[in-house]
Amino acid sequence: MRGTMKNKSPMSKISSAITEIQRIEDLQKRDQWLNRIHPLVKLACTCFYIVCLVSFHPYDIQGVLSMGLYPLILFMAGDLSITDCLRRVRIVLPLVCLIGLFNPIFDRTPMLLFGFVVRAGFVSMLTLILKGVFAVLSSYILIASTSIENLCYAMSLLHLPGILITEILLIYRYVGLLLSETERITQAYSLRAPGQKGVHFKVWGSLAGQLLLRSMDRANDVFDSMSLRGYSSDFRYIKQYVRWRPSDIIYLALWCAVFLFLRNFPLLLLVGSLFI
Amino acid sequence: MGQIEIRNLTFAYKKGADILKDISLSVAPNESVGLVGANGAGKSTLLKVLVGLNMGFSGSVMIDSVPVEKKTLAGIRQKTGYVFQDSDSQLFMTTVGEDVAFGPRNYGLSESEVRARTDAALAETGITHLKDRTIMKLSGGEKKLASIATILSMEPEILLLDEPSITLDPRNRRNIINILNRIQATKIIASHDLDMIMDICSRTILMAGGKIIADGPTDQILRDRELLEGNSLELPLRLQSGSR
Ligand SMILES: Nc1ncnc2c1ncn2[C@@H]1O[C@H](COP(=O)(O)OP(=O)(O)O)[C@@H](O)[C@H]1O
Ligand SMILES: [Mg+2]
Repeated sequence: MRGTMKNKSPMSKISSAITEIQRIEDLQKRDQWLNRIHPLVKLACTCFYIVCLVSFHPYDIQGVLSMGLYPLILFMAGDLSITDCLRRVRIVLPLVCLIGLFNPIFDRTPMLLFGFVVRAGFVSMLTLILKGVFAVLSSYILIASTSIENLCYAMSLLHLPGILITEILLIYRYVGLLLSETERITQAYSLRAPGQKGVHFKVWGSLAGQLLLRSMDRANDVFDSMSLRGYSSDFRYIKQYVRWRPSDIIYLALWCAVFLFLRNFPLLLLVGSLFI
Repeated sequence: MGQIEIRNLTFAYKKGADILKDISLSVAPNESVGLVGANGAGKSTLLKVLVGLNMGFSGSVMIDSVPVEKKTLAGIRQKTGYVFQDSDSQLFMTTVGEDVAFGPRNYGLSESEVRARTDAALAETGITHLKDRTIMKLSGGEKKLASIATILSMEPEILLLDEPSITLDPRNRRNIINILNRIQATKIIASHDLDMIMDICSRTILMAGGKIIADGPTDQILRDRELLEGNSLELPLRLQSGSR
């Protein structure tokens, strides 16, 4: 048994992961109306959206579908590519879909869906999948339009503990470190194990241990480097770049109203009844 | 300004095992000091004390007459740049430009000032063309130049460099020496590279076992074969051929 990717070398895989991070950061840096909205507003909006979304009844597929309005509008108005998004979240999506997979087996009560008789479990599975997909999409929108510093700043405005926020920021930085350390170690390994594809499973353990120790040291140094250059978890410096504007309040109020409306009135049925 | 004053500094990472032992020294503004000594002599430890990464020392450490304490750290770090031995520890943003802008931005400068500082620091280190490059894909020499730029953008009055020439090829090494010579600041350079110290520093401090063994003009200390060899160092290369 050999443990690595089949056709891509581990190095090019790591390299492309780094490029991918860079691409997302490029998105975050765009000079766009969505990027300019106050990070706290976007964070609050996303959280409220997810809370509303999750609170729909398991059989209320029309309601959940109507919540697709939010990602739909933002992907279009925010000039985000849905194909790029789906490619980036392709690892998460199957997991989200997996959750509801057994519902049709356990819940066989017949139910009416768009004029067809189906198992209630089937409906609740679809609802669950939609909820998961929409939650992922809305998070992606948040991340693609807000830098990690701004997100952390938003959290600091919510008075989350500084240590937690620093931790989040460090973990983000740590991903890069982890990738480059992995690259280094696999390189060192393959030089001493020529002709071997991937890393033999017997040394996985010790390599992983090495990786953890080395990158922990590094994370420590990086934190020092950040504090030496003025980092503090109250993000006082961001305050001058990120300001409240009237449009922030309007944005938040508008979406909250929309979510509450969708949550309480069956939009799709109402629209449908106009035509029937 | 950029004056350093250390009196009877003693420091230990673990109780009972003193790494720095009763160190006293003062460095004048714009002075360039080489800090030499065998591995484990305590050079890095001393530099880290100056920027408050090693707290809990005894004795006094003052920068421009301000003691290094928890509540003065922000001000001290703003004027004291520390360049890590390992560039990968120093750099943490995704692109070079972002990393160089991190310091000035954190200290609350306006965005136009941040941009001006970033461009100036990149120009000073000759890496303007690397501004938008991903840090993880740079060569070792490029990373070192980027590390120095991240500090220069804060326009420090004091520059502390830990083994800046280690892992560099001769061309990059020469490049770094030229850059450091151009910079106006108080400089302390910890290194084994005695030839580089000769090129940059007028004064040299020799450390061994956490103590200062010798402190004087570079010309004098780096020519003292007995002193150097007694402390696991060798004469600078340029002085070796003639005397052999
Ligand atoms: N973080 C640390 N924790 C404990 N001991 C350390 C740490 N860093 C360095 N030391 C010890 O302090 C001594 C001096 O190290 P250092 O200042 O790095 O020396 P130099 O830079 O002169 O090579 C060494 O014996 C080293 O093992
Ligand atoms: Mg050292």
